Amino acid sequence: MMFVVETHDLGYRAGSDFEIAQLNMHVPAGAVYGFLGPNGAGKTTTIRLLLGLLRPAKGAITVLGQPMPQASVSVLARTGYVPERPHLYPTLTVAEAIDLHAAFHARWDKPWASELVSRFDLPPARRISALSKGETGKLMMLLALAQRPELLVLDEPTDGLDPVVRRDVLEAVLDYVSAHSATVLISSHLVHELERICDWIGVMDQGRMIAELPMQEFKAGIKRIRVTAAPRDAGNAPFTLLARASLNGSGEEWLVRGWEPAMRAFFDTAGASVREVVDLDLEEGFVELLRSFRSPLPRT
Amino acid sequence: MYQNTDTFPMFERLDPRSPTPLYAQIATRIRVAIAAGELRGGDPLPSVRHLAAKLRINPATVVQAYRALESDSLVATRHGAGTFVAEVGTERRERDRIAEARRLVRELLGEAGRLGISASEVRNAVDHELNGRKSK
Repeated sequence: MMFVVETHDLGYRAGSDFEIAQLNMHVPAGAVYGFLGPNGAGKTTTIRLLLGLLRPAKGAITVLGQPMPQASVSVLARTGYVPERPHLYPTLTVAEAIDLHAAFHARWDKPWASELVSRFDLPPARRISALSKGETGKLMMLLALAQRPELLVLDEPTDGLDPVVRRDVLEAVLDYVSAHSATVLISSHLVHELERICDWIGVMDQGRMIAELPMQEFKAGIKRIRVTAAPRDAGNAPFTLLARASLNGSGEEWLVRGWEPAMRAFFDTAGASVREVVDLDLEEGFVELLRSFRSPLPRT
Repeated sequence: MYQNTDTFPMFERLDPRSPTPLYAQIATRIRVAIAAGELRGGDPLPSVRHLAAKLRINPATVVQAYRALESDSLVATRHGAGTFVAEVGTERRERDRIAEARRLVRELLGEAGRLGISASEVRNAVDHELNGRKSK
């Protein structure tokens, strides 16, 4: 598989209480990669490292086949970036901001930029400082898309935007991705939104990557299983046991990862019986994964 | 700017949270529409790009749905022209409708089972609803 973003044992330290350690990240070419994690997990810091805006203390970063931060100039020319906080000159008008960006990008798509101005209903003569939050969000997305990037890095691109604006913005991103088969790295805490559009998921917590896999695998493999006469020892189970809890007197509930239907046999052999296998959606799976990462089961 | 969000009523209320993958949900909607005669042989399906943007889903998901339908010979892709509904015989359409009806009933029975509703209670309820509908 070709990776558009790849890190190897990435390390970074900011102050005494936050560090990114042994971060291995792989964003496949053509993927829409959802970057999940609670606030403070290190997603924005990781993104800034990937784009050469921070210098790593350890490890290697490759973006679009080039080492970072050494190749920042050429990588950033091929990457559209929508940061968490917009960085636009407040005194420029919308049209001036667009012209300014166009001047910096050789591949700037002028017709599409104009099309997006009308599709997003942006007022060209208005100053950036007078734009609403939704308009600013749409302008940021326009600037990132019209440079025709091979990689789009979106850090909470729809955070604080109303549903109508979110819809318009995501529609434009997906339209672009379909037409140009670009790769997208998108961080968001709106998990349901990611569930719709992403085909890969990376989950980060406390500066570490705790899971990275195709969305369908993530969703299909993580289950809540209700078991009667559950075995005490799950050491030789074919799945990963993330957590277990007793169900007031009537068996146990297990949270497992890497589940396949044929694995019922494990319980049969142990003399237990599976009462129910409950599917989890992305949000539930994400929450459970974090919970078990933060308080892992003791090794039996 | 007003945008019609119901461009594809066929795809309303897709559920990304469902354990049934989105591509399978999309393929089922199209399969049912063909079985019901809503889509006919030669009708074009929306382009991958258009459908992905409108539904705000990954284009690969649309491609996967169209591929699944293609391998069932329900649609055919003509390069450069797009994807079109295949000519599907009456028998095949009837078979697909029956299969869909069974799938819906299976779902209903699963849900009823979780709620502790017995098979005969479900059967009576189905009869009741069907009779009520007739007399209206």
